[in-house]
Amino acid sequence: MIRVGLAAPRRAVGLTGLVLGAALIRALLLPLGDLLSTLVFGGCLLAIAWVERTAPTLPSPASGGGELSVLSRVSGGEEGPGPVGMTGSLVAGLMVGAVFVAPLTLGSLSARGLNGFWTWAALAAIIATLEEIAIRGTLYRRWADEAGPVAAIVAGAVVFALIHLPRYGWGAMPLDGAVGLALGGLRALTGRVAPCAVAHTIADWGAWFWA
Amino acid sequence: MTRGRCAGLSALALGLAAAAMLHGRLAAPPVYDGIVVPPEPYRWESPPPNLRAGNKPPLSGDATLPVLKGQVAGGGVQTADNQTVIYFGPGTFKAPGGTQTVKCTIAPDPSPPTPPAGVEIRGNVYRIGCVAQPGNAPVTLGSSYHLTLRFPPGAFKEIQYNDGNGWRALPTLRASGGDPYASVNAPGFGEYAATAPSGATAPGESIFSVLGRYAPFYGILAFVILFGVIAIVQEIRRRQRRAPTPSQKRRR
Repeated sequence: MIRVGLAAPRRAVGLTGLVLGAALIRALLLPLGDLLSTLVFGGCLLAIAWVERTAPTLPSPASGGGELSVLSRVSGGEEGPGPVGMTGSLVAGLMVGAVFVAPLTLGSLSARGLNGFWTWAALAAIIATLEEIAIRGTLYRRWADEAGPVAAIVAGAVVFALIHLPRYGWGAMPLDGAVGLALGGLRALTGRVAPCAVAHTIADWGAWFWA
Repeated sequence: MTRGRCAGLSALALGLAAAAMLHGRLAAPPVYDGIVVPPEPYRWESPPPNLRAGNKPPLSGDATLPVLKGQVAGGGVQTADNQTVIYFGPGTFKAPGGTQTVKCTIAPDPSPPTPPAGVEIRGNVYRIGCVAQPGNAPVTLGSSYHLTLRFPPGAFKEIQYNDGNGWRALPTLRASGGDPYASVNAPGFGEYAATAPSGATAPGESIFSVLGRYAPFYGILAFVILFGVIAIVQEIRRRQRRAPTPSQKRRR
């Protein structure tokens, strides 16, 4: 057990590399169009989560090891879903999303109508959810198993900031890192990915109406 | 509270506070998944009748630029709605002696000069000017500057310039990828407008270009949804296989 605690989180590092690689592919595909590169990126994240869902986790007194699932299971160094339940977690996600959007609402409303909103919103929700499944689901669980929840939160925030670097540049990294930290905290607090996806999606949707 | 949840609560509070503080200080887009938000609808000074409802008036823009040794350092000015942007290098503008700053303004013109025969102005006419401060003395132009103008959906041919002596067409570079922007090397201060031949319509699209535009989106969207459904079904089946049967429960 001591050996496990001191061992380098090799699988977590490898998985981090895969997620960053997906972001790199997206950056390379940008000249072919934002939509195509974004959807390929989403496909890569889904593939990572899919492959990792059956990967074995480290044994721990709590679980004795097992498979890795993005949906709900608990293993290794991670704690189970929080005491508030799914509904309470989703409400927490809604509230965090509202806090993300709040600074935007101080600006003027955009002139974008609802005509093009639904298609864009659906795509934004899918990509946001896939990002959360990959980062706050698969990656978080792996880092939590191998290095503990604090490392999982920090690693998720760093990855979250880095994958947005090609699109928004260095100037946006502190903001993206802060948002990643908050989403990682929400994940640790609720023990679920869904509230993070809700908060992330709401933050994205706010950009349509206020950015 | 366990260590993990305690760390989670701390990270959540720290992250939210930092995000709230950074929002006002950064011009970064507030989207966290890298999807480009489509541009706002074109803001018309005099909208066509069918676009009057919901139209927002175009915005102006200005910037006050420092003068060093009689020259304005390079920089840029844009309207607040990003419909017009100018960029210039050091020495483009020459200010009279004693000038401390130069104020550049871009403003939509509500009553522009009449276009030449056979030409239709597409969108707004923008008046661009710079004056020396203090005193509002005129600023002379040492070389051309770069102007980018957004044009509304529909026909477009070129940007024209009016320095008070009539309109003249400028060699225009249209943005690639179907973006509604065009650029010119602007030769002076005055009025600029996107134009098209009278009665011209936007070029039609072939069925292949339409398919090419939508196929990646709907194709990959279908792929993602299909993959997601399969993942959920597999997960449910896996859980059902793991759930203990009633006989197994009784044995315990």
